[in-house]
Amino acid sequence: MSMDGKGCKELFDEVIDVGLCALCGACVGGCPYLVYHKGKIALLDNCTRVDEAQCYDYCPRTYTDMNEVSQKVFGIPYGDNEIGTAQEVLMARTTDTVIREKAQYGGVVTTLLSLALAEGFIDGAVLTKTSDNKAPSPFLAQTVDEVLQCAGSSYMACPVLERYNQIPKDNDSKLGLVSMPCQVLAVSKMKAHPPQNRVNINNVRLIIGLFCTWALSPDTFYKFLKENLDLSEVKKFDIPPPPANRFDVFTESGRTSFQLEQIKKFTMPTCAYCLDMTSEFADISVGSVEGIEGWNTVIVRTDNGAKLMGIAKRKGKLQIDTLSPASLAHLKEASLLKKKRSLSEIVKKSGDRSNLLYVSLSPRLTKKLLD
Amino acid sequence: MANIEIDAPGTSHLLIGNESIARGTLEAGIGFAAAYPGTPSSEILGSLAQVAKKMGIYVEWSINEMVAMEAAAGASFAGIRALVAMKQNGVNVVSDFLANLVMTGIGTGGLVLVSCDDPSAISSSNEQDTRPIAQWLDIPLVEPGDFQEAKDMTKWLFDLAEELGTLCMLRSVTRIAHARGNVSLGELLKKQHKAHFDQVHDLKNVMPTTFMPVPSSLRHYFLHIKIDKAREMFESSQFNRYIGPDKADLLIVTSGSCWLYSQDAVKALKLSDRVGILKLGTLWPMPENFVGKHLSKSEKILFVEEIDPFLERNIMEIVANLPPSSPRPNFYGKRSGHINAYGELNPDMVIKAISIILGLTYEPRDVEYSKKAETFAKGNVPERSMTFCAGCPHRATFWAIKNALKLDGRDGFVTGDIGCYSMALGPAGFFQVRTMHCMGAGAGVANGLGKLAQFGFDQPVLAVVGDSTFYHATIPALINGIYNQSNFILVILDNSATAMTGFQPHPGTGMTAMGKPTKVINMEALCRSLGAYVEVCDPFDLKGTTSTLLNMMSEGGGAKVAIMRRECELVRAKKEKPPYRVYVDAEKCIGEACGCDRLCTRVFLCPGLTWDKEAGKSKVDEVICSGCGVCVSVCPQGAIIREAA
Repeated sequence: MSMDGKGCKELFDEVIDVGLCALCGACVGGCPYLVYHKGKIALLDNCTRVDEAQCYDYCPRTYTDMNEVSQKVFGIPYGDNEIGTAQEVLMARTTDTVIREKAQYGGVVTTLLSLALAEGFIDGAVLTKTSDNKAPSPFLAQTVDEVLQCAGSSYMACPVLERYNQIPKDNDSKLGLVSMPCQVLAVSKMKAHPPQNRVNINNVRLIIGLFCTWALSPDTFYKFLKENLDLSEVKKFDIPPPPANRFDVFTESGRTSFQLEQIKKFTMPTCAYCLDMTSEFADISVGSVEGIEGWNTVIVRTDNGAKLMGIAKRKGKLQIDTLSPASLAHLKEASLLKKKRSLSEIVKKSGDRSNLLYVSLSPRLTKKLLD
Repeated sequence: MANIEIDAPGTSHLLIGNESIARGTLEAGIGFAAAYPGTPSSEILGSLAQVAKKMGIYVEWSINEMVAMEAAAGASFAGIRALVAMKQNGVNVVSDFLANLVMTGIGTGGLVLVSCDDPSAISSSNEQDTRPIAQWLDIPLVEPGDFQEAKDMTKWLFDLAEELGTLCMLRSVTRIAHARGNVSLGELLKKQHKAHFDQVHDLKNVMPTTFMPVPSSLRHYFLHIKIDKAREMFESSQFNRYIGPDKADLLIVTSGSCWLYSQDAVKALKLSDRVGILKLGTLWPMPENFVGKHLSKSEKILFVEEIDPFLERNIMEIVANLPPSSPRPNFYGKRSGHINAYGELNPDMVIKAISIILGLTYEPRDVEYSKKAETFAKGNVPERSMTFCAGCPHRATFWAIKNALKLDGRDGFVTGDIGCYSMALGPAGFFQVRTMHCMGAGAGVANGLGKLAQFGFDQPVLAVVGDSTFYHATIPALINGIYNQSNFILVILDNSATAMTGFQPHPGTGMTAMGKPTKVINMEALCRSLGAYVEVCDPFDLKGTTSTLLNMMSEGGGAKVAIMRRECELVRAKKEKPPYRVYVDAEKCIGEACGCDRLCTRVFLCPGLTWDKEAGKSKVDEVICSGCGVCVSVCPQGAIIREAA
């Protein structure tokens, strides 16, 4: 991939030890040396691989040739659209009442996954599941029932790709992934340069990307929750839309709320350096809609994504509506703001406008975002 | 082991020094012997244990050297001749008792302590010289210069101990203890032992016992009288002798195995008409007149001895006390730098020292010879690093410890001590052990580390200890940790054997030195009774063990115990066939590629796995593989396969 003679040592020097790790899980699961444990990546022994070190190569926070990845996914170079390459931007919600009950917003992700499973698009999907101890953990769902068990969010980073990496290379099941932008980027790097000894990247048939502005640390935030709540009683986490400014935890006995500011200090430091709010390399990206409860914003990006959306519409699985120009403008503004803020943080960190750490953007785009 | 109880006086037998000492005790008619195993001393008690029943004596592997010494003293107090044997480290363990025993004196049964020292620390943590201990505790001390003397001195020491009424000590070294030589046997003393502790029941005029160190100063004075008497006897001892010309260009003063090196050196240099050797067998108290008489043989005196300048200093003291008119010789030895004050000696080193002093140019045979010999010898020896045996449960335990500490992520570490598991200082145990001192020290050190939270210390501390060492020296440290609420985990590596010294039984094994089944002291029951939280793991369950250790670390809360229970592979292999046939599926093995990078042969390092460089695959060395199958859980590709054998 980068083929620049870097391995796990450099992964720690350049990413993990300097607060850039997103806990996406791309470096773990298929490696005996790197292991995810309770919100951290541990290096059990030194690995001497440098010429072909997948941990370093697929990390979304090591050098990424955006043009190359975009070319692979969309057949065009990386552009300057605030929300990435998009065929269509819609608003949608599930028509399934069971899903609506469990879903965080409009239930689109769960609906699309269930449909993809039913239609044979995929045989299984790697998702985030809130485990019994209420920590998020990666999970391979192979039935609609299992997909439903994964509905809802804990807002904590989860190494979903760890579970993906554990799937043997010779397993030819078709897979779906529901991922954060960092994870979508890692998988897209794999698409651009297929791994040799690990997974078979061609098995990934569907990537549903989630909108993300920041994620909470499964290390420090989990400890905070554990100290302040009886985790066994927790049923659901929620961040209601502004101006609520709250982090809500629903338990058997009711709702506990924390001020959002109090929670934000547990944000993964790496999120401040992330340019991607909308999972720009996914087949379909899904998020909330500012100001409209019970609906999702949906960005259809690839033909593959469009095909699935088409079936969902035709079969009445989703109720689809146009996204108002105001909402779209708002989405673009938010996405652009994240790019600008993060890029200036990156320059602050590197101390050099020409050193964007892991990001490769055209000089024109860089200038546009920084000035 | 040799047949040390053969009743054939006058016949000659090839014995190692330790067997010769054991034979000496039989010729002295001992009734009691106790020891704690420790290389290079272990064969003394080991060979006595084998003949104990036949010879009608009692032999035990004691829990530690202290108890062995005290038990033997008990036998002496009741009139039974008793022997205690240990390695140099053990003498420190018993020194507190010894300091009092010399004050009380022994019973009517002679009591002899054998210390086997280990210059160069070939199988030890240090190379401490025990001769000075005998000096500062006022214990008569002898050192055999060959295998015959090892037996003869031992036998004689029991007479001496009884005559003086004090403990006597024999110091041996590895090259006597483990080397082999001809020994001409003497009569076996078959004694009807009758043990009785004599007491004075009429308390009107005297104290009821002598076995107390008070009044101390008075007893100290009497001890010095015993030492003076010993000195007088040593003046005419046959174990001290001079060989050489009446007037020598150089006088070598030596003892023990260095006597052999000195003889070789003089012979190699063909200097027997110019260099004399004064060989001392009785080292403390020093026979001053005998020594003084021979010092006048030369103006140049070279001390050839290992480790401490024991002879050197004491003889300098003798010279300092000679009349003013006496000649003042030039001294050569450790002080002058002609002889090393560390490590073993050998004939070459003595040749070099003599040559420098006498201005000779010694030409050894072809300088390339030793290199050629080494190259030739190496050709027949497979290259191996110092490691745990194939199938050793310790490797698995340290794998789990390493992973648990890394996953925990708080920079935790391991304190250790003495046993096979000391090798975890190096690659065999993935460099996990970070401190190593004496028996039980890891647990003691952990006690302190575990109380440093108030100073910001948050690293998990694991103290590893072997099962035998647990009984030997760790129980008080564990009690201390529980009582004072120190935060550490005592990891007991229970391989159900005192493995490093040769599988001697210990209180957890259920068998005595004489082969009699006995009560097992159950370590988990013991620890639980002390209030410790105890987990018992099978180290071959790598995942389970790692997770147990992780949980124990994350919870904090005082001293806890994790017992890693898996029988020593060498013990298991003697009883049964290998459980599995293990092989590598070359199709699945990805060798050095990303996703493995030779984890098994580069990191796990079981000698049963080898790297086929040409094929770029790992393979199982069927000769060395013990069939334990634990590497199956290490291989990330599932390429190591095990089938029930």
